[in-house]
Amino acid sequence: MEPKPSPRLTAINQPFLRGSNRDELWLQRCVQPACRKFVFYPRVCCPHCGAGALTWEQATGRGQVVSFSRVFRPQHESFFPEAPYYFIAVRLSEGPLFFSRLDHQGLPVETNLIGRQVRAVFVQHTPEQRLPLFELC
Amino acid sequence: MATGGYEGVVIAGVGQTRYEKRTEKTVQHLLWEALDAALGSAGFPMRRVDGLAVTAFVLPPDNVTVVAEHFGLEPRWLSQGAYGGASGVIGMLHGARAIQAGDADVVACLTADVFDVASHMDLMDRFNSSVRDYLGPYGFGGPNGIYALHTRLYMDRYGATREDFGKQAISQRQNALLNPNALFKTPLTMEEYLNARPIADPLRLYDCVLPCSGGDCVILAREDLVASQGGRRVRILGGGEIHNFPVEDVFSLRGGWERFRDRMYEQAGLGPSDMEFVQLYDDYPVMEFVQLESLGFCPPGGAAEFLRKRDTTVGGDFPINTGGGQLSAGQAGASGGMIGVVEAVLQLRGEAGARQLRARRGMVSGYGMVAYGRGLSCSAAILAREA
Repeated sequence: MEPKPSPRLTAINQPFLRGSNRDELWLQRCVQPACRKFVFYPRVCCPHCGAGALTWEQATGRGQVVSFSRVFRPQHESFFPEAPYYFIAVRLSEGPLFFSRLDHQGLPVETNLIGRQVRAVFVQHTPEQRLPLFELC
Repeated sequence: MATGGYEGVVIAGVGQTRYEKRTEKTVQHLLWEALDAALGSAGFPMRRVDGLAVTAFVLPPDNVTVVAEHFGLEPRWLSQGAYGGASGVIGMLHGARAIQAGDADVVACLTADVFDVASHMDLMDRFNSSVRDYLGPYGFGGPNGIYALHTRLYMDRYGATREDFGKQAISQRQNALLNPNALFKTPLTMEEYLNARPIADPLRLYDCVLPCSGGDCVILAREDLVASQGGRRVRILGGGEIHNFPVEDVFSLRGGWERFRDRMYEQAGLGPSDMEFVQLYDDYPVMEFVQLESLGFCPPGGAAEFLRKRDTTVGGDFPINTGGGQLSAGQAGASGGMIGVVEAVLQLRGEAGARQLRARRGMVSGYGMVAYGRGLSCSAAILAREA
């Protein structure tokens, strides 16, 4: 089987991907005093105010489930053995939206996860890269 | 004109290839077949085309310029759609602007793709860099996973049910049975819809389009170049597009049509209640609901109740996707953004065969370019038959 699709390491996203390998969630943050908003996915400029100066800060890894789906038909064959799994949108406590998976099996099928608190947990995605999934608090 | 409308331009011809689950043909071949059919319909020779708007996901490494070379055209205006399923309508609107500005006389608005389920999933895994780097690695399930999240949220927020989405899917299947080019040939029952194979819950098989191969085309021309053809000229009365709306809110459950709809209706001098059919972008039933709301047919969150009271089949009081749409005719990649334009033009020209409506005007809507959590682009236009 092909390996799982992996994010490309770029000049923009290095702190995020290297942080993930240390089991830390790192986000960009706008340095403009009037903005100071957190940013994900990694960008070259702040999508809130357009300024080019972004720093990196370690995030809490906490958030709330906005929506969720049990995926039975993954887009890539490397995920087939794990299906069905929960694909989720998390509103991080710092503000940005983060799409990930729930690191959880065996939830009752009718469980409504909308609004549930979650925290990041890091899993070995490929031999080179760990990535943040989430678990219910 | 103060309204910024599309005066002076007519839709002069329309063409569609066979839709097929598999084909040995190349995308260039399907583009040519659709163009050839539309030129035949318009009565123009190939060499009369001096403007070309092309959208085809599997076209790279070729592009619209190379397509012009392939077809032996010498165009003075070219455009390539980068707006996914919004590209069909946008290509038509931009082409009309080019004709109004004198930059072209005859513009072919052309889409095609060669797709099946596997190649569709492969493309969607690397559709753009945010999808490739920040969705694909998490097993997002492709657009199915993204719109499962939107569908779940829509149901949670507004109380819509699986049966509400099913009613629309079943109505479109009935329409498809009157369209010889639709890939689905048998009726869909509510039981089949509700119990179909789960894809990404709450989405099941019949909430998802069938990736296929095909091509679609309309020909625009300066009005003085086109004989009135016994009322077969179609005009663009209004239109618009918006991208990345609203900024910073992926889960607004709005597409952005509300941002330009008032101007579009003003251009046309018409309102939602004047539309005699609507061809919606139906990548998923939930997006049809969002479009009905954003285009002003019903208030936000009101689409389920709106549709419960209406019959959206060809024989009904509010026909939607009269050829079956992408859900029941098939989604030929980028042609998914043109299938509604072609269906609208066929209806207005009186060429829709067994599914022909008595309609003078209607709306077509586009939506696409899935990125980090939603489609970025939306478009719509109001089309009308000349009296």
